[in-house]
Amino acid sequence: MDFLAIQLFNGLVNGAFYALLSLGLAVIFGMMRIVNFAHGAFYMLGAFVAYVLLQQAGIGFWPSLVIAPLAIALAGMVLERLLIRRIAGVDPLFGFLLTFGLSLLIQDAMRLRFGLQGQPYATPAELAGAVSLGAVTYPTYRLFVIAFSLAVSLAVWYAIERTRLGMVVRAATERAELTRALGVDVDRWTTPVFGFGLGLAALAGVLAAPMRNVSPLMGSELIILTFAVVVIGGMGSIKGAIAAGFLVGVLSSVGAIFDPAIEGIVAFALMAVLLLVRPSGLFGSLETS
Amino acid sequence: MLEITGLSAWYGEAQALREVSLRASPGEVVTLVGRNGAGKSTLLRCLMGLHAQMTGSVRLGERDLGPLGPVRRVHAGLGYVPDDRGIYSSLSVEEHLLLPPRLGQSAWTLERVYDAFPALRARRQQTASKLSGGEQQMLAIARVLRMGARVLLLDEPTEGLAPILVQQIARLLVDAKADALTILLVEQNLRFATSVADRHYLLGQGEIVTTLANDEVKAREHELRQHLGI
Amino acid sequence: MRGPVWLAVPLAGVIAAAACGGGTTPGGGASTVKLTNGKVVIGVINDQSGVYADLSGKNAVEAVQMAIDDFKAKYGDNALGGPITVISADHKNDPALASSKAQEFYERNNVNIILDVPTSSAALAIAKVANDEKKLYINITAATTDLTGASCNKYTFHYAYDTYMLAQGTGIAVTSSGGKQWYIIYPNYAFGQDMEKSFRAAVTSNGGTVIASDGSPFPNQTGDFSSLLLKAGQLKPQILGVMQAGGDLVNVVKQYNEFKLKDQGVKLAIGLLFDTDITALGQDAFAGVVYTTPWIWSEDDASKAFADKFLQRTKIRPTFAHAGNYSATTQYLEAIRRAGTDDPDAVVKALEGYKFSDFFIHNGQIRPEDHWVMHDAFLAQVKPKAESKEAFDYSKILNTIPADKASRPLAEAPCKMAK
Repeated sequence: MDFLAIQLFNGLVNGAFYALLSLGLAVIFGMMRIVNFAHGAFYMLGAFVAYVLLQQAGIGFWPSLVIAPLAIALAGMVLERLLIRRIAGVDPLFGFLLTFGLSLLIQDAMRLRFGLQGQPYATPAELAGAVSLGAVTYPTYRLFVIAFSLAVSLAVWYAIERTRLGMVVRAATERAELTRALGVDVDRWTTPVFGFGLGLAALAGVLAAPMRNVSPLMGSELIILTFAVVVIGGMGSIKGAIAAGFLVGVLSSVGAIFDPAIEGIVAFALMAVLLLVRPSGLFGSLETS
Repeated sequence: MLEITGLSAWYGEAQALREVSLRASPGEVVTLVGRNGAGKSTLLRCLMGLHAQMTGSVRLGERDLGPLGPVRRVHAGLGYVPDDRGIYSSLSVEEHLLLPPRLGQSAWTLERVYDAFPALRARRQQTASKLSGGEQQMLAIARVLRMGARVLLLDEPTEGLAPILVQQIARLLVDAKADALTILLVEQNLRFATSVADRHYLLGQGEIVTTLANDEVKAREHELRQHLGI
Repeated sequence: MRGPVWLAVPLAGVIAAAACGGGTTPGGGASTVKLTNGKVVIGVINDQSGVYADLSGKNAVEAVQMAIDDFKAKYGDNALGGPITVISADHKNDPALASSKAQEFYERNNVNIILDVPTSSAALAIAKVANDEKKLYINITAATTDLTGASCNKYTFHYAYDTYMLAQGTGIAVTSSGGKQWYIIYPNYAFGQDMEKSFRAAVTSNGGTVIASDGSPFPNQTGDFSSLLLKAGQLKPQILGVMQAGGDLVNVVKQYNEFKLKDQGVKLAIGLLFDTDITALGQDAFAGVVYTTPWIWSEDDASKAFADKFLQRTKIRPTFAHAGNYSATTQYLEAIRRAGTDDPDAVVKALEGYKFSDFFIHNGQIRPEDHWVMHDAFLAQVKPKAESKEAFDYSKILNTIPADKASRPLAEAPCKMAK
């Protein structure tokens, strides 16, 4: 019984990463109709920014948790202005090619500079301990990851549901053209929204650095799963991204109790079933046009 | 004055509008009548800058709207109610009213909107997609009034509504007309059209077939019905 | 073709004996070696973009080039009567790609020998091609014992290490020093399953027990091993045997430290550890871990000298895969000298049964029955960072595992080789 409970925590930790990543994908897709295949690369960059800050400037985990997402968000905004903007409104295939190409470019550039074997990154001293939970001790840092990402997810959800900008994002996500025809300058917001989405990915990257191998490939492996999560939650749905993220995380971990192989399958099985039964996803409201 | 000259539009190779010219003055209600597929909705989309494949000129007063995108056209005074009412499922009733910008003094306050549409006040916090068809139509119109648009482009506002609601919308348009708004109404309901409009443009296969004043309608009703296929 | 070869063998043998016994023969003289295409081409097929790119990859190609350069320096540019070159290809850890690249190398590029080839499945695929083409293949970086077992053949040699060696070293050393209860986790594919089997055998034959073992999905997309580590925390075995390699291994150890399993008395034993893994996680995260390796760069002066030259050319210290590629290249070129020809059958003859030692191979002997290159292995331990004298000085050697102990007994090797 204890084991099941603790495994739930493991599921929540994994779910936290899915949620943060798919949240960013969802706002970007919603606002711009671009499936950002480079999302995993920015997750990886977030972790590397934290690593470089520590190595080169001695800047630790806590400042990095703020600096890295901001830096990546800024870079994302420049990128949106220079490149992404140009493919707005054309065949989605171009968006796929551009962002996929970008991800390869970033990944290989990092590989050239840092190699593939990965870089060390220590858990922040304040959270390096472990907490006793019944029969099992559980790393404090993981509890922090659960709490922190839940808080971030809720904050994003609140911002989307309760603020004027959130209202614009929701409207543009649902019907971009109509929103323009109602006099709302949707395109003014695409740059910050794109930056924000990438910032969330970078935040997930920093959170992952103490737990996962910091390597140029860390994002490309995770991103495939994240796409499954986004589809499960419903393309472009904020609530869906958060809920599906944690759901997939927990189900995978609980599944792993029975057989470790199940862990890798759950997301895709869930996606397949959902696509058959409810193609718009758990919370999707998108017409399948 | 809204003035359209020589407007043509295409969907790929297929021409949807041919050299359409029309005008509507402040305080005037003008309808576009015609069968399905005659090009009425396309004309409104062209006016809003939502349809790129077009030629011809659209002027509002002294201003050429041609180079403007949809957002700037709204700021120039156009208010658009699309044929599907343009309701968001992720926005509450009140958010629908708060979403568009407010343009000058002519913009309605929320209070005024709710006074005019009491049904909306009661459901202001609800998700708009849960409203009835008539309420959704009210909301779509209230939204452009709240904005303070000077030119209303309404795409079949009475479609599928109960007669009592149709009357309510007719009253609204009469009020708006009294406020010196310009109203371009796409309509298939001839009775409703004649109850509010000053002039009618009959559109057939992308062309203006004929123009007639409201008082001519009675005399030429047979001809009109033939064109409309009813 | 056959006549001259048989004539050349005894002659070359004399020369080689002179070379080995009486120091180096100065180069420059006309070569008596007969080359089929007037040149020797060495093909390196390995992972140049994926998880094993750092531990072998492009730098393994550089190691082969170094060996060629050193060979020429020793015997003269015309030592073999023609140019010696190296070409390489990325197999992206895909057996099908590896197989087609190997075929292309042998047929179109007239490659004499293929070297390196990490990833067991890709390694086995090339063994089959080598046999079909009747061309040489020395595998260095793959671990599977099948290369000298079920899939052995006349043209395939296995050079540096295999799962048997790793299990004999680490499994037995840890079990006999008191680590009796094991929980083994392994990546669920050919390599991991082979490792699990070898370790299970080594542990149980020395009085230990494997209380549980679990496969993890491969590839592991999430990089998360928490459920297995949680199970380890529950089972509380004396030893957690980790068979994952590369990036997966780094993730497991990172999370092992996170879950504080060491404090709970669960010790770590690692199946396969490369220096690059230690770089990835930081030396202290691995400190105290005992592992088996065929070679470490700091083991003796000859190795250090090689490592210094390698550092100059590549900016990194060599892994055992790099050193193994250098050594295998050298031994292959030497075998051509001994055989007096690059004819594959003659070179195989020259290699079989050959006894040698170099900086990489100690007490080496190429077993004719299965083409396993027997040699000493080492039980090593990762030092804490405080004890390391320079960058990449990660490990110290605890003891030597003699060649016969490190090699799978022929009786256990199911190799039926057509002669």
